[in-house]
Amino acid sequence: MDMAYREKSLWLVGLSLILVFGLYFWWVLPAPTADVLPNQVGLFVGAVILLVALQVVGHGLIAVLDRRTETDERDRLIGLIGERNGSFVLAVGVFLSLCAAVFTQGNFLFTHVLLAFWVLASLVSIGTSLWLYRRGA
Amino acid sequence: MGKGRIDNDIRTLRFHAGEMTQQELADRVGVTRQTINTIEGNKYSPSLEVAFRIARVFDVPIDRVFTYNEEG
Repeated sequence: MDMAYREKSLWLVGLSLILVFGLYFWWVLPAPTADVLPNQVGLFVGAVILLVALQVVGHGLIAVLDRRTETDERDRLIGLIGERNGSFVLAVGVFLSLCAAVFTQGNFLFTHVLLAFWVLASLVSIGTSLWLYRRGA
Repeated sequence: MGKGRIDNDIRTLRFHAGEMTQQELADRVGVTRQTINTIEGNKYSPSLEVAFRIARVFDVPIDRVFTYNEEG
């Protein structure tokens, strides 16, 4: 498939987000607690480190294999449209997490609703951009 | 205001410029090859700056490269 550097980068970021936070939520959500526990914080820190490592290594590989890492005005425009769509999802997530903070005890639900919507917003942003690249915007 | 359509003659101009490839044009304009491809296919309208840079590569006026059709 003919893809520019930015498009490959988006696939990498999207897939690594799904993998890392998919695993995180798979481990944490089946046993919800009132408050976030220290081992859950540890899992989260581990997830962030894994995410950064995957993306650094992945971007390095893309750059080595592709050797063309330039971006242009079309990449920026597509990125802006993606970010706009993602920001709507994030706004909904902030509102729902505030509701969770007000109406439930402890901080577990609040933090995880916020985290889940941050991941979802990122995926919507990336998905929008990838769709625009494929459509040929 | 009705929606118009911007057409272009880049493919022909590339052919007459020694069968210049999309990558060569992209490198000279400072955009990606995929962007040149979407411009050629009338799927993306470039900024004025990029449009002028494309015209400058072929050494022709900008209206030789791009035409605006009111009907769409």
